[in-house]
Amino acid sequence: MSTKVDPITTEIIRNAFVSTAQDMNATLIRSAYTPIIYEGKDCSVALLDENADVLGQSLGLPLFLGNLEVCVKLTAELLGWAIFKPGDIYHMNDSYLTGTHLNDSTIFGPIYWEDKLVGFSATRAHWLDVGAKDPGGAMDSHEIYQEGMRWPPTKIYENYKPREDVIELVRRNSRFGHGVIGDMNAQVAACRTGEARFHALLERFDYETVLAARDEIFRQSEQLEREAVAAIPDGTYTAEGFLDDDGLRTGPIPVKVRVDLEGEQMTVDLEGSSDQTYGPVNCGFAQTISAVRVSFKLLVNPDRPVDGGTFKTLTVKAPAGSIFYAQEPAACQWYFSSLGLLIDLITQALAPAMPEKVAAAHYGDSMVIYVAGTDPRKENIPFLSVEANPGGWGAFETNDGQDALINNVNGGFKDYPVEVYENKYPVILRRYGFRPDTGGPGRFRGGTGIYREYHMESASTVYLWFERSVTKAWGLFGGGTAQGPDVVINPGTDDEQHMLKVNALPVDTGGVVRLKTGGGGGFGPAWERDPECVREDVIDGYVTREGAERDYGVILKDDLSIDEKATEKRRKAMQKEAKKSV
Amino acid sequence: MTKYRVSADIGGTFTDFVVAEEDTGEVFTGKVPSTPKNAALAVIDGLKDLIPNPPDIGFMVHGTTVGLNTFLERKGARVLLITTAGLRDSYSIARGDRKELYALQYRKPERLVPRRDVHEVRERLKWDGTILEALHEEDLEPIIKKVKDEDIKAVAVCFIHSYAYPQHELRAREILSEVLPDVSITLSHEIAREWREYERASSAVMNAYIAPVVERYLVSLGEQMRGMGVEATLHVMQSSGGIMTVEAARRQPVYILLSGPVGGTIGGMALSKAMHRPNLLCVDMGGTSFDMSLIVNGQPNITSETELEGLPMLMSIVDIHTIGAGGGSLAWLEAGALRVGPQSAGADPGPVCYDRGGTQPTVTDANLFLKRLGAQTLLSGRMMLNEEATAKAIHTMAPQVGLDDVAFAEGMLSIINAKMADAMRTITVEQGIDPREYSLVAFGGAGPMHAVWLAEELEIGEVIVPWTPGTFSAWGMLQTDMRHDLTLNFYHPLAGMDSKEIEGIYEQLKEEGVAALKEEGVPPEDMYFERSTDMRYVGQEYSVNVRVGDKVDLEEIDASFHNMHAARYGHSTPSAPVEFVNLRLAALGHLVESDGRFEIPKEDGDPVTETREAVFDGKAYKTPVLWRYRVEKESKFSGPLIIEEESATTIVPPGYQARVDDLGNILITVEQA
Repeated sequence: MSTKVDPITTEIIRNAFVSTAQDMNATLIRSAYTPIIYEGKDCSVALLDENADVLGQSLGLPLFLGNLEVCVKLTAELLGWAIFKPGDIYHMNDSYLTGTHLNDSTIFGPIYWEDKLVGFSATRAHWLDVGAKDPGGAMDSHEIYQEGMRWPPTKIYENYKPREDVIELVRRNSRFGHGVIGDMNAQVAACRTGEARFHALLERFDYETVLAARDEIFRQSEQLEREAVAAIPDGTYTAEGFLDDDGLRTGPIPVKVRVDLEGEQMTVDLEGSSDQTYGPVNCGFAQTISAVRVSFKLLVNPDRPVDGGTFKTLTVKAPAGSIFYAQEPAACQWYFSSLGLLIDLITQALAPAMPEKVAAAHYGDSMVIYVAGTDPRKENIPFLSVEANPGGWGAFETNDGQDALINNVNGGFKDYPVEVYENKYPVILRRYGFRPDTGGPGRFRGGTGIYREYHMESASTVYLWFERSVTKAWGLFGGGTAQGPDVVINPGTDDEQHMLKVNALPVDTGGVVRLKTGGGGGFGPAWERDPECVREDVIDGYVTREGAERDYGVILKDDLSIDEKATEKRRKAMQKEAKKSV
Repeated sequence: MTKYRVSADIGGTFTDFVVAEEDTGEVFTGKVPSTPKNAALAVIDGLKDLIPNPPDIGFMVHGTTVGLNTFLERKGARVLLITTAGLRDSYSIARGDRKELYALQYRKPERLVPRRDVHEVRERLKWDGTILEALHEEDLEPIIKKVKDEDIKAVAVCFIHSYAYPQHELRAREILSEVLPDVSITLSHEIAREWREYERASSAVMNAYIAPVVERYLVSLGEQMRGMGVEATLHVMQSSGGIMTVEAARRQPVYILLSGPVGGTIGGMALSKAMHRPNLLCVDMGGTSFDMSLIVNGQPNITSETELEGLPMLMSIVDIHTIGAGGGSLAWLEAGALRVGPQSAGADPGPVCYDRGGTQPTVTDANLFLKRLGAQTLLSGRMMLNEEATAKAIHTMAPQVGLDDVAFAEGMLSIINAKMADAMRTITVEQGIDPREYSLVAFGGAGPMHAVWLAEELEIGEVIVPWTPGTFSAWGMLQTDMRHDLTLNFYHPLAGMDSKEIEGIYEQLKEEGVAALKEEGVPPEDMYFERSTDMRYVGQEYSVNVRVGDKVDLEEIDASFHNMHAARYGHSTPSAPVEFVNLRLAALGHLVESDGRFEIPKEDGDPVTETREAVFDGKAYKTPVLWRYRVEKESKFSGPLIIEEESATTIVPPGYQARVDDLGNILITVEQA
């Protein structure tokens, strides 16, 4: 690029890119129909340049990091760059292209300026239902064809006009058609916001200037990242863990991570991870790359915005046909369970290299429950509630892990208020609270998990997807392992059952479902925890008195004061035991 | 006998006064240092200074940060929270969300009540008010014992579904207040009659947390005022932009929590009336933050929910959008690029020119370097700025990005202005509002210095710098009305709704509003009411607040909802089902027949105090500096021009002209050829 651009203009343009993406995201979230988008923030937007490289991205869901541009590039590969015309908007959800499950709709459109293709605005959002064999998406699919309508890049707007026939096809293939179309409109609106803001920018600065600024912005990002990666000690770092199963009782499923650091380059290789499974825990390679980028971003310059200069130092490898590089017809509905584990494992692998930046493992997955049925209070209209549940996060070098927090692959997800839930659905939520002693013990304690109890007011069908009972949240640097999840159906009755995953389980009126999520791992040896902190935890009920003695060697008297002598003795014994086992 | 109407705005550093003589309409202002330990002292001092005979005060309103500071410094009361059995932890779980997404080491915002002080009693209502489990009154006994034994001063109660069915909360208070007469008790449904138990509990806890401190302050102020012989009822500014009596504020102190920050918007509302400008974009640029708010058709935007340090609160509050940009915003370099903000030098060390050890140039330094800000301007020369230190700091950094010093300083301002303009675009263009139909009102120490450039970016035609921008919010308080916000959760589809049912609820809310206003001494003929409803498409979470006319017309409501949705989000689906979420009514009491006009005193002498070589677009201009108090009304000037006053500096760049209107406001527009 011959045009020279001064640092002031560059910085103004850089801020404008970021702010454009934020405005697109605000448009999408505020006008979306389904709570998964506006509460779960299961969405993402980006402003891209004419090569589909990122100018600005704003994320609801971290897992969608650096993935939208891939969809545009793949579309161009399939159809040619010439296919993009002013006012067109495309929709696609094919898992093997987008990498995620079919519920995630990627919608994007080209941006033109003076008859020239100058960029794209792109969005992704989770649609509540895309016509899978079960409402919302199946728990037990084994082929993608069971998971809903699969769309290649398909034009839904042509020259700023909706293609009503195609949109009607989308509507008719969803159990909640009007909501899905509402979300589609929200995504289109976000694309238009991006287009309008980009046009405003081009009106103020000419295109040559914007291009020159872009090159400079990408250069800056790349340089900062190279410096940050070079600062991490060279070496090979590895970790491995297991998914419980593939949802169809085959498991555990191994996940292997190898990170090579050499100078300014980081390579993450997933060789040795499971072949693609019969059940739906597979994901497309595009999404695997995103997940690794999330891990990378958590540890390298987390505060910096993402653009076309980021991730140049990162290479991701996965064997084709593995769970991380799924091929047709692999089922992909629960693609993110593998990725949540992958992110935790990369963090674990790199812990020796950057102990001050990492944290122990968190409780692991979204811990999803669907309740479906008809609502007798409202003329038996069908309902479907979809919820993720929080759990404990890993402790770190300077503090305890957070109690009851939503998992790493989720966005700003909030739990459903009991009052709103009970108004909307014929279910009473009788209990919701912390599970003491579930956080991994350590100098800093892992966060605790929660329980949540559903009492059915009418016969309903329950779907569960709970994970991480095999590889529970591990500790770091001598910290302890957390307790894992459990779901109890009709607890305390003759037909009490325990399970973690189930598809379409009927639960009668009066039946009870009790969810339990796990804790996060501890950091550092538990006997190094300040006994006063342990005592405080007991007073607050995050740790029981028995737990204090068993896990921390802190012995409390009946008035909850610390028995110093007994504590010292018990802790010495703990240390000795630990040495022995090493 | 002359009567005075007085307002006092108690800020962290200064307490500002605006006094209006009722007969002459003459207005004057005052400023005294705040007295954080006992905020009432500064008010009393100021009043003694300004009013020859305090019993002549006929009306008094004040805004206070006492509640806010109590919260920010975490110096409130120890609160015990009582909840429904089984759901105690909903307060501590705090909905389980993360506010930062790229943080492995995330911690939730610190809540005001630790888990050990959250207690359960057995009671449970269903969504429709059916009693699933009656209130077990005996469960309150151990809690009462704890409150007594541990000398807890504040209790909050939040039971499930109390927003619609408060009987258990009411009964709990009956029992508690009988045996704990000195304990402040807050019921969640009296603070917010809206669903979402965590948010409601959080609001109730906040109220309980600040209640004892605010109470002490209000009582002390009342006593001292009476000690001076003032008999007029004391009023307090609310976060909603209306005012309420001290008596009402003592019951619901959380409503006055943000009475300080909203002052500027309320000033904007008054200005809108006085100047007949229905649409204003108000910007307040201080040392560290840039606050934006809108006046649309003469009214501020009011939202029903906000967050303070991550803790949610359900209450009516003037919608203010804030970003980190101010006079203290720092320039910094990375990878050969120049960035400005959001980090701020704050008060300590402050800008380089304050000579308190700062070495990184700030926005204030850039303004000083370009001679737009005078070295002796701040605090009327009581604080001298070190121009040499600033020049050195800029000269150290500029060559590193290949710029000369002047281009660097102007560049810093361009970057921060563009950032602020981007944020202004977000609250206007992105909400379906065209800023070109607005005037820009600039106040705060730095606002009038940057206003013209902000207006230019958004193609706003007119900048208004109000008379004494430093006491602007105190002035606004004198112009506003009594206000009570009433809400009822009303979760029903619009289809098949009977408008009479809604009418009945509005009547019921109105009765409550009338009672509250009556208690505050508002005669019936001065009462007026504004009705609105929160609506959304079935399945949506965010709602749109739709105004409702004097007669409930469902078709009209439906149509305005779709229109507002389309205006705000760019699309609507008129065929899709719509539902109500809340019905809202603002009960207002009109206070004075004021058109916002006033007389201001004028100083004699030549308004031009000096000429400076201020820099605009790389060129130095001989720029006259005016002392605002000497400028005649209805006078006109061409830029470049600098107008200084006690608390602010206004810049009129070349190509712009300034006119002082008959109210004393400075109006800046593009120079007419």
